[in-house]
Order: sequence, then C-alpha cells, then structure tokens
Amino acid sequence: MSRKITFIIVERSYVIRSGLKKIITSFQETGFVKEFEDIHLIKKIIVKEQPNVLIINAKLIDEAPEIISEIRKISETIKLVVFVGTRRSHEDFPAFDLRIAVDEQKSLIIKKVQELISEIKTEKKDEFSEDLSEREKDVVKQIALGKTNKQIANVLFISPHTVITHRKNITGKLGIKTVSGLTVYAILNNLIKIEDAQ
Amino acid sequence: MIITKDTKLANVIFQNYHLIPIVSRFGIKFGFGDKNVQQVCNQYDINPDFFIEIVNAFNDKDYKPYEKLKKMPLSFTVGYLLKSHFWYNKTKLPIIENLIEQLEWEREGDNKNKEVLKKFFSQYRKEVNEHTVNEETEIYPYVLELEKNYNKEGQVENVFYERIQNKSIKDYADTHDELNSALLDLKNILVKYLYPAKNNNITEQILIEIFKLEKDMTDHTELEDNVVIPVAVKMEEDLKNRN
Repeated sequence: MSRKITFIIVERSYVIRSGLKKIITSFQETGFVKEFEDIHLIKKIIVKEQPNVLIINAKLIDEAPEIISEIRKISETIKLVVFVGTRRSHEDFPAFDLRIAVDEQKSLIIKKVQELISEIKTEKKDEFSEDLSEREKDVVKQIALGKTNKQIANVLFISPHTVITHRKNITGKLGIKTVSGLTVYAILNNLIKIEDAQ
Repeated sequence: MIITKDTKLANVIFQNYHLIPIVSRFGIKFGFGDKNVQQVCNQYDINPDFFIEIVNAFNDKDYKPYEKLKKMPLSFTVGYLLKSHFWYNKTKLPIIENLIEQLEWEREGDNKNKEVLKKFFSQYRKEVNEHTVNEETEIYPYVLELEKNYNKEGQVENVFYERIQNKSIKDYADTHDELNSALLDLKNILVKYLYPAKNNNITEQILIEIFKLEKDMTDHTELEDNVVIPVAVKMEEDLKNRN
C-alpha cells in the first residue's frame, strides 16, 4: 500500500463540506479528510496533521488574507485549493494551485482533483514508493538501537537534517511513527537482534 | 439515526452494537425491556440530555455534540471520561495483553514476534496508565474545582486564584498524540509486518479490539479538546477578572 494523500477542508457550510468530502474520498489515494469550520487554528492544524492539500472557502480568506502566505511558510509543498462562489475568477486567488467553484459539475471537479492527486504523486515519487531504500534501512536500524538524530548523522556521515527527512519518509512508507514501533519493525525484519534493542 | 429521549434503548443497541460499552459505561444493565432512553435514564439517575449527546456522538461521527455539552455541567463530561479511563485500563488493555500472550508460531524461532509485541504493548499500557492517572489526579480535579468556584458568586479565594495564575489548563502537556501514534503503529505492525501466527484468529481478535479502543480514545480526546478544555479556559478567564 502506498502512501495516502491527505486533505483538510475549511468551510463553514456543512452541506458544502460534506459534498467536497464525498468527492475527495472517492479516490483510492485519499487518506484522511479532516473538516474544520473555522480558520483560526488552521496553522496549528497544518503543523500537526501535515496534509497534502488544503481546501478553503474564499470568504474565509477574505477575513484573514495574510493566512495564505503564513501557511506557505509552514509548508512549501502543500497544495492550496480555493472554493469559491460563482462570480469570482481564478485571478483573484493567484497563490492557489486550484480553484473549485460551487456551480461546477461533479465530473469537472473530479477531473480537477484527479489531476491534483497525480501532480502530488509525481512530485513526491520517492515517498509513494513502498519499499525502504538501503539508506532508510540503515536509519531504521540506528533508531532501533536507540540513537538520537545527531548520533545517527555522525554514524552515517549525513546531516541531521537529512536524518529527519529520512525519518519522515520511513514513517510515510511503513505507517510506523514511534521509536518503539520502529524497533519492533527492525527486529521483525532482522535489521537488529532482539537483544540489541533498547 | 438520531437518538432521542423517546427512542427505545433496545433499538439504540440493535442499530449500532458499538454502543454496547457506552451504555454499560453509564451503569445501565442489559435487560431493560422496551423502556425508552428517558425511562432508563430516570431509573439509573442519569441526565438524559447528557446521555443522548454522548450516544449520538459515538453513533455518528459527524454529530458534533460539543456546543450542547459545553452548556451542561462539566462534571457530567468529566464523570464520563473517568469511566472510560477505567474501561481502558481495567477492561480493554488487559484483554489485548492477554490475547497477545496467546499468540503462537509454528517455528520456535518466530517466537520473537511475541516477545517484541509484548514489550511494545506493555510499554504502551504503562503510558496510557500514566496519562490517565495524571488526568485523574491533576487535570480533572482542577477543572471541577474551577467549575465550583465559577458557580459561586464573588471573588475567588486567594489560594485558588494563585493556582489559576500559575498553572492554567493550557499548560498541561498534551500526550494524546503520542498515545495515538503508538496505537497506529501497532495496527501497522499487526496487519503488515508480523510474521503470520499459527492461531490467526487471535491476531484477528487483537486487531478488532485495537480498532475499537482507537475509536473510543479518539472520541475521548475530542471531548477533552472540544468541551473540557475550552470551557475550563473560559472559566479561568472569568475567575481571573473577578479578582
């Protein structure tokens, strides 16, 4: 199973949120779709949930226009989708990757979302492969031995930043996040011996 | 289906058996005949308005009970959260631990699967226990004290005022995420990475138990984050302004 694409919808109307969610969840690549009514916690939520796509109602952006550049600062790769009423054009929202309008047909919206998903998968090709690379296996092994990021960087002659990137990708591929969980994985896959685990 | 006070409790269970532990958690015993929610709640001295919010929220994840629960006494929600702690620590976690103990493999060498699982799970159980004890001894008593003071007229006693100033509800570290990650890891390990056990039916049971536990814990966290914390924050602010 490859990694899933995750969505956050910020929209006040329950009916619109549900409709958008229904379309999004019809794709097999879709992971979680979380819904929020309000924009004020959105930065915190993005940091926590690390979604691939954020769909947000244009009216909410009008209330806090600075939010978009702030979100871009948190995540450069996040895809921003604006949901608009009929009379507003894409030119009004230059910072967005996609515009979905309330009067568009289902088939058009599906096509747009499909293209967005393909784009994300192409951009993040490495993350969407399910097997660990040899380097990633080395990192899992070191994590299971109880090493810190800095120690791992020293042992493998890479920067601590690279270690963090590897860890993120490992969690994406395996679905395992905690050190204890990765240790179990390492033992079951003979990357380390059970008696060497922390 | 929206559950109301007129709904027969038996029909509540028939249409969603996942509500079985929730109903038990309120102290209701099975064998309640054709009584509706209101009647059963009267019999067991349960607030029916609170009861229907909790069962509806559990029944339909899009039913958000938070605004209504915020208007009810916090002691209702806290009381419910305490009962679910008991269910995690004394019922669900021991069941899962016991099931892991029963796993078997054909080859001697594969028994390390059990050993690592046991170790992982006992650590998780310990973390859940520490987390719940902390909430029970620190957070919940503080929140209830807040509510007591909030309902009294006039200024707050100095000792409690200092407490609010020194350690607000916002300062309590949140470890829910970590507990949740451990559960997700366990699911991945069992489904994808475990060497297939001889008694696969046990693996199946463990997985089902974990999914149920996860669902319950998610609802639990949402009640804390969307009811207890925001109401407590509001009360703190009100009390601070009185002095």
